[in-house]
Amino acid sequence: MPHTTREDFEVLVRRAGLTLTPAQIDEIYVGWGFVEPMLDRIRTEGRERGAEPAHVFRPEFYIPAAEA
Amino acid sequence: MDTPTIAEAASLIAARKLSPVELARHCLGRIEALNGTLHAFIAVTAERAMADASAAEARLMAGTMRGPLDGIPIAHKDIYATRGIPTTAHSKLLEGWVPTEDATTVRTLAEAGTTMLGKLATHEFAFGGPSFDLPWPPARNPWNTDHFTSGSSSGTGAAVASGMILGGTGSDTGGSIRGPAALCGIAGLKPTYGLCPRTGILPLAFSLDHAGPMAWTVEDCALLLQHMAGHDPADPASADRPIPSFTAKLGHSIAGVRIGVVRQWHETDVQVSPAVQRGIDQAVALLRDQGATIVDVALPSLFEYQAATFAILTTEAYALHEPWMRTRFQDYGELLRDRMAMGALTTGTDYLQALRRRHELCMLTAEAARGVDILITAGAPAEAPRIDAVPKWGNLQTPSFTNPFNLTGWPAIGVCSGLGEGGLPVGIQIAAKPFQEPLLLQVAHAFEHAAGLPRARPSVVAAAENIITTRAPEPATA
Repeated sequence: MPHTTREDFEVLVRRAGLTLTPAQIDEIYVGWGFVEPMLDRIRTEGRERGAEPAHVFRPEFYIPAAEA
Repeated sequence: MDTPTIAEAASLIAARKLSPVELARHCLGRIEALNGTLHAFIAVTAERAMADASAAEARLMAGTMRGPLDGIPIAHKDIYATRGIPTTAHSKLLEGWVPTEDATTVRTLAEAGTTMLGKLATHEFAFGGPSFDLPWPPARNPWNTDHFTSGSSSGTGAAVASGMILGGTGSDTGGSIRGPAALCGIAGLKPTYGLCPRTGILPLAFSLDHAGPMAWTVEDCALLLQHMAGHDPADPASADRPIPSFTAKLGHSIAGVRIGVVRQWHETDVQVSPAVQRGIDQAVALLRDQGATIVDVALPSLFEYQAATFAILTTEAYALHEPWMRTRFQDYGELLRDRMAMGALTTGTDYLQALRRRHELCMLTAEAARGVDILITAGAPAEAPRIDAVPKWGNLQTPSFTNPFNLTGWPAIGVCSGLGEGGLPVGIQIAAKPFQEPLLLQVAHAFEHAAGLPRARPSVVAAAENIITTRAPEPATA
């Protein structure tokens, strides 16, 4: 069972802009029970404040080679 | 005749012992005999195939052959855009879309002289499947048609295994090439991220998507990769580096290659069947016999890779599909829409934390694998399950052996390691460091040959052979 309540989950669905029937919300609520532990897992305990993400912004990418 | 491998066909064609037109007719005949059962093809482009084959034959007669892929019948996963040919992603949402340009890899494979037979089934938008509520049925496993092919490159897996085509294209965001390779008993290569252009391939998750080849043998994957790899300025992730020969090292000694076995993944994280375990043990023994050094390597848990991959994949996928998910939810198949809805519920912070975790896992993987050149893991936990018994949330319940190499971008190949207790294939996965495809293919090829592979085709093919030999097939048209 997810630790998000069924009522709170419905709020999340509405906030996302999805228009679902109660039966459809019930279905994905089951899946959410598997997703929550994954989201907890990616919040590494003790991660340094400065730990960068894997994707890096590179401004030179947007400059044609001839101008670089 | 049995469907030859690409390497065999190329030799026969070059020696003028096999005509490209004859080979195309053979494949079209096999499609006609089997596709009603296997549903591997969404559309068969018979006229185009015969035109391509005739052109290859003309080049053969004129002495202007373009190389080993000239006259080789292939087909494309139906998320690869094909100019003038409908491209559906196996979804109602794209019915009627006819691209005006080929995907870059479709174009380069055509320029190599291949014969294009059509478009192949996929899980809807390369994510949701097997689904029974889409405009086309899901592909079936040729080894037992009651069973699953895995996905999402399901049609390519079924078509290659049954000899409808000699090779085909797949895409791999979390394992969609290597999964079908394992369960259909073929070879499937997910190259290094950025090696093969993604331009013109419908995206699932930009930072995890890989294009790659699928074929009966490792050597055939190498031959296809040679014409799929290359820099494409239109793809921002495309690597701008020289393309090596992917076949040059095949058959060379692997003595001295350092191979790491990631035991905890299949001994602790996910339970594998006895046949899968035997496949790994056999691979280790055969490669050691050839002079490779074998050590154990401890990588982070599969659950760690799964969590980061899932958060990134679903968030990126939902961002792409958000307009339709909000307005045409019912037009998606149930599996896709329910799985993708998870990406609507993750937050921006979740996504960024997953990207930070991705960075950490890439660093940890590189550090743990510092002393080895190659990694060996299971390909899938067991043989294919029944197609009607695939759980909707199975991809969330059990982490896959393939996710880590999407997250890290390392190249990995799925190779058949034999048949399991149920008579269906099982496979191993072999991985290497970024852009080390020549070494990866060398080791995978060494295993395949030492293990006595390639092997017999699925029995469904024998039944088709009887049909094919009792009447002359006419090209089928979708």
